[in-house]
Amino acid sequence: MISERLKKIICNELNLGVELVEMDENTEANEVPGWDSLNHANIIVAIEKDYGVRFKGLEILKCKNIGDLQKLVDSKTTGQK
Amino acid sequence: MFNLIDNESKTLWSRWEYFARTQPMKDAVIHWSATGRNYRWSYGQLLKSANKYSERLKQLGVKKGDVCALIIRHNPQFYPLYLGIVGIGALPAVLAYPNPRLHHEKFQQGLIGMSERSGLNWIFAERELERIIKPLIVYRGKVNSGLFFPLEWELKENINAKELEELEEIRNSTNENDPVLLQHSSGTTGLQKPIVLTHKAVLDHVNNYGKAIQLSDNDIAASWLPLYHDMGLIAAFHLPLASGITTIQIDPFEWVLAPSILLDVISKEKATLTWLPNFAYNLMADKIKEDELEKVSLGSLRMVVNCSEKIRADSHEKFHKKFSNYGLNENALTTMYAMAETTLAITQSEPEKRATEIMVDRNELSRGFVEITENEKKSIGVSSGKPINDCEIKIVNDRREEVSEDRVREIAVKSVSMFQGYRNYPGKTAEVLDDKGWFYTGDLGFIYKDELYVIGRIKDIIIVAGNNIYPEDIEDAVGKIENVIPGRVVAFGEEDEELGTEQISVIAETKFDNEIELRKLSMDIVKAGMSIDVNIQNVYLVPPRWLIKSSSGKPSRKTNKQRIMDNIDRNVWSNR
Repeated sequence: MISERLKKIICNELNLGVELVEMDENTEANEVPGWDSLNHANIIVAIEKDYGVRFKGLEILKCKNIGDLQKLVDSKTTGQK
Repeated sequence: MFNLIDNESKTLWSRWEYFARTQPMKDAVIHWSATGRNYRWSYGQLLKSANKYSERLKQLGVKKGDVCALIIRHNPQFYPLYLGIVGIGALPAVLAYPNPRLHHEKFQQGLIGMSERSGLNWIFAERELERIIKPLIVYRGKVNSGLFFPLEWELKENINAKELEELEEIRNSTNENDPVLLQHSSGTTGLQKPIVLTHKAVLDHVNNYGKAIQLSDNDIAASWLPLYHDMGLIAAFHLPLASGITTIQIDPFEWVLAPSILLDVISKEKATLTWLPNFAYNLMADKIKEDELEKVSLGSLRMVVNCSEKIRADSHEKFHKKFSNYGLNENALTTMYAMAETTLAITQSEPEKRATEIMVDRNELSRGFVEITENEKKSIGVSSGKPINDCEIKIVNDRREEVSEDRVREIAVKSVSMFQGYRNYPGKTAEVLDDKGWFYTGDLGFIYKDELYVIGRIKDIIIVAGNNIYPEDIEDAVGKIENVIPGRVVAFGEEDEELGTEQISVIAETKFDNEIELRKLSMDIVKAGMSIDVNIQNVYLVPPRWLIKSSSGKPSRKTNKQRIMDNIDRNVWSNR
């Protein structure tokens, strides 16, 4: 399940209305309007900033879809207050 | 210093064979995968495997002069297959693997367009593409001979003497003026122009460019550039293999997600050369984190060559600032001016010396004049260097007459490695190549103290991260969207200083005027871009009759872009 918080960060970064974008754990980056290789880095930075976490390049590389990205965020934030 | 002993080789195959014989154990290609396994091809193994592919291709019926499209993702078998195609006198043509967001129909149209112009005789692809490509072959008859999946082939363990003799015959009958490969000028799929290069053009280029960068046996190239791009194919693949040095090939998809991979590879393999489009300097400087650099050491790098899009001084500065603590030598920051039509390089800045920067008056520059200045309105120009051996440059006016040094006009180039013309496209060739061998590039620039400065383009082509995109394609796709007024769309490039490249912007007229409808329409426009594999970053929606027409009767890109940039019209809705 994709959290509203993650969805909102992605949509904000891409200037998309949250209500207009369908996103679930199987959605891949190339299915999200505007998510291309140039915007990718900005989206990752926005997620890091919002959650106060840091991702390594290889961790991101292993994410095949937004579900994997959500799991990565969850693994970094577990135990965070 | 670059001084190739084997000057006898008149074809690429004989050059590769020479290295397979004289340095069989040396790494030719290191296939790098951050998530899979790396694979090292020595010159000996690579040629042995290429021979097997040549034999298999011959059995299939591939003949000398046939064009073989390769649509294969990052895979270690790509390299011997490519060499094997050359080994039977056929022409490899590397095509981009379709991005999943590209609409199937658009990909098919592109392939048909290429087939009609380039005459693709064979397509070698991955099985995943079968359902998209096969209908073209079975029902449309656009591809002559067929579709095959070489990654599934089980190649013969050994080639017998008779088979080898037959291959030798083909190779011996190939001469330096025969075509060796087909590359496409970068551009939107379907509108790309096919460029055939001869063995001589490529080998002359390797020799001339090798000298310009003082290539030596100790050099190692590292690249994430896709091989369908001229800079990836010629600089980072053909140049090393025809010079007997090692090239490290990184998956472009992996690099863009984790740009630190290039630095890891350079550190581990002590690479000395890499080529990057300008946006990569910003991306790497801004997005790679310090904790990813713990084991990075860039002391081996003697040249990082900036090419393929506008070179920005602040990108060099940013890159230097970020990585100087990790051993990057400031003098590694060099530049090149290149294009597929001249095989690749025309100019190169001095090796191991930071590319020259000059201050020019911005206002004068926009009027077409070069004035060196220190005033507030200055703009920093980065030199692309001087012509390499056997190449010439001049700046010409609209009548194609050479102009003086203080003028900004079109860049014309001449090269010993010039293409013979766009394949099956004589009209287009005649437009850009004159009978004295000058190629008119469509780029704007000037020459100062014998060095070339490139500042933009005459035409409206948008260059995003080193890829040329035609605004017509975008306007056509967006113009078909319901609630966009047909024919009332313009697309243009908008400078993104943070990313160090251009981003695509669209202005479209619509009758909508409420926020919800406008937001939805904006998303439809971004999706229309996705269907042709371009990312529309900025959408500007305007009321009917907002766009100003040019004398041709079509909405003017330049004038309307300026109105948006001036940001004074309250009738403009933007997704930003």
